[in-house]
Amino acid sequence: MLRRAQRLRDEGRYRRAAGLVDETLLHDPRNVVGHLLAASLHMVLRETGQARTSFERVLALEPTQPRALLGLARVELEEGETAACCTLLNRALARYPDFPEARALLEVARGLLASADAKGDATSNAAVGADRLRLPAESREALFMRADATVIVAEPYGPRTDAVAARAVKLSRVATAMLGRAGLGPLRHAVIEGAAETTYLRTDDAALLTLSFDRDVKSATAVEHLERVWHRCRSELA
Amino acid sequence: MSTAAVIPCPADGRNLRGVLAELLKLEHIIGGLVVAPDGLVIAANLPREVQAEPLSALAAALGRELELRGPRLRRGTFPTAQFASVSGSAFIGSTPVGYVVLLGEPRADWEVVRSGLHGALGTVYRAWAG
Repeated sequence: MLRRAQRLRDEGRYRRAAGLVDETLLHDPRNVVGHLLAASLHMVLRETGQARTSFERVLALEPTQPRALLGLARVELEEGETAACCTLLNRALARYPDFPEARALLEVARGLLASADAKGDATSNAAVGADRLRLPAESREALFMRADATVIVAEPYGPRTDAVAARAVKLSRVATAMLGRAGLGPLRHAVIEGAAETTYLRTDDAALLTLSFDRDVKSATAVEHLERVWHRCRSELA
Repeated sequence: MSTAAVIPCPADGRNLRGVLAELLKLEHIIGGLVVAPDGLVIAANLPREVQAEPLSALAAALGRELELRGPRLRRGTFPTAQFASVSGSAFIGSTPVGYVVLLGEPRADWEVVRSGLHGALGTVYRAWAG
């Protein structure tokens, strides 16, 4: 039955595959392969909470199952539980030292943990300097922060600003790690298209700037604005 | 910046290897992979010195981070993103089956790659989203 579920998964019929896996696990709740397949299907369906439960069930049955350790570590990283992510990846690497996926993710998680520690008690002072940066009128959102996610300027500033900054830093760390693994060097620019707006990102080792524009703003215009604001930001920081 | 663009037109969105092969015909693209949301490689064609496994783990994490950036971006709805260093770029697009990643030289043109990726992602969506 699991083989059939696997075939359905390969055909993209995820819900039917998940139904078969559930049925199998009902009769055989200690089936590690079944729980792993369930976790994989939940990940494809972007059901992170259910994927977590499945990975945890695998680890309850087989505490060093490498795919479950890696999968659960991914879930922890996604949910901002960086220390838990590191613990799981270290567990995986202690058992399987040659595990390149775990090593790559651990590099990112350790970097995030180190910058969170360095940030310590630093407080945001987002009201300072926004006017001095002369943000473009077309920009919907602007966020300038240190590499440790300490917000320097946010326009507009709101209760979610710090969380958004932390996500931007995480995104940039993962992208830098990916570019590094591809032999391309650290992240400097990014363009991220959303449904309604496009975000332009500029970064170096010390700071990160994001500007969001409506999608109808031309890319060349947005990049010009980004570079101008970036240079002002870096001067302010210096 | 390239001006003469080859816009690939993948015929079968279920054939992800074929989709990737078509995208690799874009100018200044040096490799790519398709990775499932759980990080498993579905298809890969990478420069010899690039290992697929760590790249796929990071690509899946990055793809998911992009999807989670805001309420408008949930459930695989972000079209494309480019991450650039001085030595080249990674382009990424989301589909229901996972993430398509392309690696490009510094000369790879964002607009051209974006247009090619959009076409490919649309084909994959139509084939798999049902």
